[in-house]
Amino acid sequence: MKVTVCIGSSCHLKGSRQVVEGLQSLIAAHNLKDKIDLGGKFCMGNCQNGVSVTVDDQLFSVSPETVESFFQNEIITRL
Amino acid sequence: MNKLCTEIGYQSVNKYGEQLCGDRVEVISQGDDNYVVVLADGLGSGVKANILSTLTSKIISTMIANGMSLLNCVETIAATLPICEERKVAYSTFTIVRTIENRIAQVVQYDNPDLILLRNGKSVDYEKTEVEMEGKKIYQSTIDLEENDFLVFTSDGALFAGMGRTMNFGWQREEIVAFLEKMVQPSFTADMVSELLLDECNKLYGGEPGDDTTICTVKIRPRKAVNVLFGPPSNPSAVPQMMEQFFAQEGKHIVCGGTTSSLAAEFLGKTVEIDLNYVDDDIPPIAHIKGVDLVTEGIVTMSRVLEYAENYSKESQIYADWNVKNDGASQIARLLFGEATDIWFFVGRAVNPAHQNPKLPISFHLKMHLIESLSEYLTKMGKRVKVSYF
Repeated sequence: MKVTVCIGSSCHLKGSRQVVEGLQSLIAAHNLKDKIDLGGKFCMGNCQNGVSVTVDDQLFSVSPETVESFFQNEIITRL
Repeated sequence: MNKLCTEIGYQSVNKYGEQLCGDRVEVISQGDDNYVVVLADGLGSGVKANILSTLTSKIISTMIANGMSLLNCVETIAATLPICEERKVAYSTFTIVRTIENRIAQVVQYDNPDLILLRNGKSVDYEKTEVEMEGKKIYQSTIDLEENDFLVFTSDGALFAGMGRTMNFGWQREEIVAFLEKMVQPSFTADMVSELLLDECNKLYGGEPGDDTTICTVKIRPRKAVNVLFGPPSNPSAVPQMMEQFFAQEGKHIVCGGTTSSLAAEFLGKTVEIDLNYVDDDIPPIAHIKGVDLVTEGIVTMSRVLEYAENYSKESQIYADWNVKNDGASQIARLLFGEATDIWFFVGRAVNPAHQNPKLPISFHLKMHLIESLSEYLTKMGKRVKVSYF
């Protein structure tokens, strides 16, 4: 599974780093490093609704506060 | 114009407790490739020394720049300088370095410590001719310059550094030479070499210099162009033209901005590979595009570069954040402040609607202001800067 976090200017200011780090630690905690390919992208053209995250090309808006529920609801369920 | 350029960097510390520096460096440029640099050390310290050295360096540099002979200059100085009541003499010692087309240095030395020519990491001897003028012994030299030559000259405060404190007689020329041979890398800027040596002198003085101490370095270095692409053009149909012009330039290429990097990658037929490694918490990670030297996020990163530029003259060059860290902003700063001599900004005026959100600390206005301010600072650092808008 490919999970991509936008780290462009707007998303960065809305907390990309916390989202990336949140996902990195959740992936490690669930031992899913082999199954999830976490990557970054500079701009997904969805700046208004950042932080933009795609899961296999489907677009989501995530914030540092919602990383955990996003991980449970949209990532774990799809594995 | 040849492929070389002259870089000049100097720094002073005052004698402990003095408000004014009795040393003075004056730089006059005659076109891009010819410089006159004068380092004058006024007799004594404080205000008297400051006046003597200011007059000396101003008179010499102005007269030489206007084509007057050395004899004329020295005569003028002797006739102009006020006479010290206590010592009944009026003079300041000086070193003059005149570079011609980055190829030849004419050096004139009067009573300052001997200039050091550092070539390929070693101090090299050069010929000196003694001339007697008004009872003063003056030494003249002509040096054929090579790429990455450093000419390092100082006021006598450097020689006396540490006298009676950390050493009996202070360090001598041989020790300064050994220090420079050991420490200076060819990649160092003139500013860095001056800072390095001055720091060491200050250390030997235990932070309380016994005399005004000034280090001046002239470096002959190759010209290096760095091109920066920042933002997409206001008219989307101008993308190919902007990219073609940008990538056609000689030198290094930096691409800043999310949309901008996608456009650049598309133009080159490559992909943007992001490195999700946060070296600095506040700066977005860098990316890679084959054929581009550095790819970074835009406005957040560039704002940090501007901050570094603002502090450039106030802080250490060697230990500055940007010189030791590896985030995007530091890498841009190293390329622009250190490596580059000629910088060309390709600025796109497209407005990113997402940035016009009043909750975000970024705006179109800020973006334009960023490059304008940065250009000003870079020009002050002696860079040739060009900005094109699209």
